[in-house]
Amino acid sequence: MRLRAVLTGVALGASLTVSPAFASERPAAVETCLGCHGIKGYKNVYPTFPVPKLGGQSAQYILDALRAYAENTRPHSTMHANAVTLSEEQKQAIAAWFEAQGREEQDQ
Amino acid sequence: MKIANRSILAVTAAGLLLVGTAQAGDPELGRTKAAPCAACHGEDGMGTAPNFPVLAGQYAGYLVHVLKQYRSGERENALMAPWVAELSDADIADLAAYYAAMQGLVVPEL
Repeated sequence: MRLRAVLTGVALGASLTVSPAFASERPAAVETCLGCHGIKGYKNVYPTFPVPKLGGQSAQYILDALRAYAENTRPHSTMHANAVTLSEEQKQAIAAWFEAQGREEQDQ
Repeated sequence: MKIANRSILAVTAAGLLLVGTAQAGDPELGRTKAAPCAACHGEDGMGTAPNFPVLAGQYAGYLVHVLKQYRSGERENALMAPWVAELSDADIADLAAYYAAMQGLVVPEL
């Protein structure tokens, strides 16, 4: 079981590292995400909190989050409704695209 | 009885005021409190491994929401649970303010 998890991780890592070419082009599936995640200061309601920034977020983390939302192990009704419709390939493309959007430089 | 009601009102009003200002954390206090977080999330908030999220530049209000979800158990996570169990609301606000003040995550423009 653990070996399988490790192998899956390795396979995923490989597929994520070979995808920068298509990460630069915006996947169609990202359009829906940007309805909330592409608006600065956009708020989730009930409860009210800012929708998280995803530009520059780790692709692996986003992928893990999308899977957890789809499986309902991470609770959020809107994210579940969206994630459950996505194929594994779409989840990976979305994750890679957001990571590739870069981060603000740190002054150090 | 009237006086008691008035006291309850006053206490409730004070409580509401506190709730209203609860999210204004102190990033300098947050820096000290974040020492254990750095092992996974990095000194720079960028994460030390791909499965650990970047926190630098994230909205404070989102970080507060997430930390409280971990603390209540609404969001289950074996790695995070022990770290947040003893955090006060003030601790959470300070940590959130600290990471939010860093340069990092961006909102992709359409």
